[in-house]
Amino acid sequence: MSDTIELLEAIGKDAKLRRASAEELADTLEQAEASDALKAAVVAADSALLAAEFGHQPMRVDQHSNTPGHEEEDPDHDDDQDHPSQPDQGKPSHGQ
Amino acid sequence: MGMTLGSHLTPLARSHIEHADVIFAALSDGVVEMWLRRLHPDVRSLQPYYAEGKSRMKTYRQWVDLMITEVRAGKRVCAVFYGHPGIFAWSPHKVIEVARAEGFEAHMEPGISAEDCLYADLGIDPGRFGCQHFEASQLLLYERRIDSTGYLVLWQVGIVGDRSLARLHTGPEYRQVLVDVLSRDYSLDHEVIIYRGVTLPIDKPRVRRVALRDLPGTEVTTQETVVLPPAMPLKPNLIVRERLDELDKASVA
Repeated sequence: MSDTIELLEAIGKDAKLRRASAEELADTLEQAEASDALKAAVVAADSALLAAEFGHQPMRVDQHSNTPGHEEEDPDHDDDQDHPSQPDQGKPSHGQ
Repeated sequence: MGMTLGSHLTPLARSHIEHADVIFAALSDGVVEMWLRRLHPDVRSLQPYYAEGKSRMKTYRQWVDLMITEVRAGKRVCAVFYGHPGIFAWSPHKVIEVARAEGFEAHMEPGISAEDCLYADLGIDPGRFGCQHFEASQLLLYERRIDSTGYLVLWQVGIVGDRSLARLHTGPEYRQVLVDVLSRDYSLDHEVIIYRGVTLPIDKPRVRRVALRDLPGTEVTTQETVVLPPAMPLKPNLIVRERLDELDKASVA
């Protein structure tokens, strides 16, 4: 079975594959011996189905705020609950 | 990192990643983070520092502390953010400011942003009618002037009105306040576009169109951006045009 991350990168950088229809891409992935999860995600046009292979990985995307009243918040004075329970040291963070 | 896995990472950004001692990552998709781990052996996710009930501002300051600590230790540090690291992102600007103030060399590389993808996927040229961008909450918390003859792009509508900075999302009643503010400049029938760009290359852009009055009852995630097309035609400025006519006549004479 082909590596799913490598296949995604290959699709992302290939003009033909990046704009291929779901049917065309499914054929390509079949020939490449892609994982069942990747093939299912392409057929359903739903990348959330990759969770079957990688697990559910919720990601926060908000990285900015103009809301007043938080200018002086100091992490040096946070209590323990403000720190991640398992600080990441290069290991995958599968969910929180 | 840009927005889409495999498509947007610039050669220069990739080189920075490969030559760094340590990588910090704030990405929009777990699979993209896994891809990043293929590029470097020491990728430290910033995601675990978020927590419901904790101010996001505390999280962002923690990120700055984590990054600057490694810089002070003499490491070559690269922080990888989804999209463009300097657009709607507080900590990248802050950590560069802090590092430079302490005498370290620090800079930002641009990336393909959600805004860039929005223009391409929705077929919008911001130069045609002009385009305003606001964090949605800023429209509620401050008196801003909307120009409805141009495009209006609202970011972080999914958490609009959250003054605690501790919620994962806000509900219909908060979006209703946003609609009430917008209704000063737009008809409730006005079309609103809810857009989400592509993170994985097997996805398609998500584009939904609803009337402004229906925005409160429409679920909007923090990954989505709301666009209001122009509501009014551009109004000619006759006074300035006359002044320019006079200048043209004088330059010909």
